[in-house]
Order: sequence, then C-alpha cells, then structure tokens
Amino acid sequence: MNLNDKFTIAKYLKSPIALVSEHGAIEWRNDAFEATFGGDAKDWLKQAARALAGESGWLQSFFLDTDAHHSLDVDIEGRTYRIDKIMQIDDYATPTVALWFEDVTLQREAEQAKSDFTAQIVHDLRGPLSGIQGTLEFILSQDASKLGTLNADLLTEASRESERMMSLINEIMDFSKIQSGSFAVEQEPVRIAGLLKRAVRSLQSVAARDEVFLLTAHGRDIPQIIGSVEKLTQAVINLISNSLKFTPKKGLISVGAQIVRNGEIPEAIVITVTDSGMGIKATELQQIWDKYKQSGTKSLRGGGGTGLGLYIVKQVVEAHGGEVTVASIEGVGTSMVLKLPVKRAA
Amino acid sequence: MSTLPKSATAPEWSRLVSDSLTQHGAWYTYLKLIEARGAYPGDLSLRGYTEILRTTIVRDFLAHPKAMQAVPKLTAEFLSNFDRFNLTAQEGYLISLIDGRLDLQKLLILSPFDQFTTLFNLAKLQHERAITVPQ
Repeated sequence: MNLNDKFTIAKYLKSPIALVSEHGAIEWRNDAFEATFGGDAKDWLKQAARALAGESGWLQSFFLDTDAHHSLDVDIEGRTYRIDKIMQIDDYATPTVALWFEDVTLQREAEQAKSDFTAQIVHDLRGPLSGIQGTLEFILSQDASKLGTLNADLLTEASRESERMMSLINEIMDFSKIQSGSFAVEQEPVRIAGLLKRAVRSLQSVAARDEVFLLTAHGRDIPQIIGSVEKLTQAVINLISNSLKFTPKKGLISVGAQIVRNGEIPEAIVITVTDSGMGIKATELQQIWDKYKQSGTKSLRGGGGTGLGLYIVKQVVEAHGGEVTVASIEGVGTSMVLKLPVKRAA
Repeated sequence: MSTLPKSATAPEWSRLVSDSLTQHGAWYTYLKLIEARGAYPGDLSLRGYTEILRTTIVRDFLAHPKAMQAVPKLTAEFLSNFDRFNLTAQEGYLISLIDGRLDLQKLLILSPFDQFTTLFNLAKLQHERAITVPQ
C-alpha cells in the first residue's frame, strides 16, 4: 500500500497535512499543503529541525512530547498556524510525525484586538476607581464621632464594594493578558518571605474588619526563587481574598511557606493559604482552577466574582514551572497549595 | 486512619481526614498526617490537609473567650515534673517566656518565631498540659 492509498482522505482535505521527519524532510504532503506552502516548506522545516530550543525549534517539541494531541501556534512566513500532531508514524527509518496545519492568523488578530480593547477599558476604569478608593479611605480615617455610626457603616460598605470592583477589574486585565499570550513572567529574584508579608499586610485591614485572624507561617530560611514578584504577590493576594470570602467571623487564615529538599538542596518552595472556612464539596475540588468556575458554596460576605481568580493563580504558577493543588474538608477548611521550583543559575 | 496505608497510590485524604477528625479529634489526626508524610513525601494535597489541621488547632486555641488577651500560665504538673515533657527547642523557648502575666498578644511580639508557629506551639503545650489558659 503506497502513502497516497494510506492517506486517501487526508490527501483531499482542505487543511494542509504533511508527514515530517525529525530532520525536517517531507515524507508525504497533501494537495492543500502543496498549494499553501509550495516549495518553500522544505526550507523552513529544515530550519525548524536544526534549531534545538526556543520558538524556532518547534519541530523538535513534537518528537520530544509523547502527547498524541500536542499542539503549537507557530509563525510561518508572516502568518500564524496552529500545528497539531495527528500521529507518530513508525514506517520510516527516522521518527516521523503527521502534522495538521490550521491558519489562525485572523483568530489571533481578533484576540489581540480584543485584548487591546480590554486593556484600554481596564486602564480607563482603574483611574477613577482609584480616586474613589482614596477619597473613601481618607474620609474613613477621620474622627469616627464626626462621621456618625450610620455614615461610617455606609462608607465602609462603599469602600468594601470599591475594593471588590478593583479586584474584578484586575482579574479581567490578567485574564485578557493570558488569553492574548502576552502573559510573560519576569526573571527576577523573588524573596518569598517578604512577598507573603506584603500580601498579608495588604489584606490585614480587610481581615480585621471581617473579624478574621490572618497570620503568616514561615521560617526565616526560605530561599529566593526566580520569577515575577508582582504576579506571585497578586496570586497570593487572590488566594487570601478568596479565603476571606468563605471564612466566618473568629475564623483563621494562615499563609505559610515550606521548603521541599532533595537531600540538603532546596528543590522547591510550597506556599499554602489555608482557612478555617466552609470548605469545598469533594465533587467541585477538581474544577475550581478552571476559568469561570465558582464554588457552589455561597460567599459569606456577598458579592460574586468573575470566576477567574483561581484560574489566573494556576496560570501564574504554571508560568513559573510550578503546580497547584487544593485540599478541603467540608465544614472544616480549605488549603490552596502552590509549589514553585527553586531555579538556579546555570 | 488507625493505620498507615501501605499502597504507594495516594489515598482519598478528604474522606480519611474528615472521618478521623470526627472520631479522634484534631491532634490525633494531625499526628497521623505527619506520620503519613513519610510515606507520601511528594504528595502536595497531603501538605494541604496537614495545614488545614494546623489551622483548625490554632483557630480552636484562639477561640478562648479572651482571644489574644488570654494569659497562659504554667501548670502545676509542669512545674513539679518538667522532665516528663519532651519539649522541642521552640517550645522550650516559648515556655521560658510564660510568667502568668504576659497575654498572647505580648507573647507574639516577644516570640522570635512567626505568629502562626508561636500560636501552634502554645496550642501544643496546652494540649500536653504544660500550660493552661484560664478563662
């Protein structure tokens, strides 16, 4: 059976398909591939095969990753193609994969336009909202006797809602960046102990107002990691804010860090944000990191969210090469666990 | 959770911990989880369940009617028979600060350890009857 018989259906499909060896040689291609890329394909495929790492070495990733559904967006000759590995072919002397090319240029442009629009809207909303927050904070810092109980309560409520709105706006901004692929992680030294202290300090007044104990729990010898101070701080703040929504009065939230060692060498840092709140149903545990997913448990302090907070946390941690998990017991509490690798200079 | 699971596959911690908590209480369950960490060192969710137990223990300790204004005191049992107590270095340091006058708020300020660790160690000392926190 020759290759045209074996790939009869693929031959006439409108999407470009090709069998490509790990050296970048085209073993077979369909008509759509020929019409789309013509003779130039062998040049950029060879180039992709020679590059071992980075974006230009995309071809190697299809051979290194055994995942049958491996997929990549690659820029080829001024357009963006989503390349899917259909299957690994074992009929040749050198490893070969069947690749399906889909032109997603328009889709990417639309995503970028949407992202730019969101960024502009978020920027325009943040300015006036910061002004409102500052004004409320100033009024609330005045002598309580001048405000009167009713006014103080109403202003506190307005302050709480403006904080919530700012948090929603920030989530939309981060989500937009993730969707557009512009969610880059800086490579700077991150002192975890300082980061946790800052995150706790920023929410200490909210916790005090809600009558919840908010405590740090980490030693002094936590090593620094490489990553983004801003994004990781925001991730921890997201988790604490989430815990505050579900922890009753007189409850406790602890924010800790532990070292995972390989022998004597620190291998990773595990950050935990744990609350004595209402817990999450076992059936919902696996979905809480998905976008637009919100716990079926009702927040104790009213107001829903975007359902993006935990999704963003997961994206931030994974962008640092880490992993996330959750432990929860209904009626007892929940612990969000983030594991971040300690990267070393080469 | 009376015995450690022998399989390398991580057990369903949520149900095990919940059942043990109901039957044996927070301290027993916490100590069993610490034991289990030896068998499952890479299990991230197990760390999470351990933290839930530690948080529950400290929350219960702070549930004292006077909360941070509560004043811990050394027990007669500790004063008369302190050799019986196998204290860690952190516990030993904290117990040296307890004079029957300093409240939890002041102990947290004086303690060189983080707030949570300090409160957890005090809760452990109370559990072991080395200190008492009168109402």
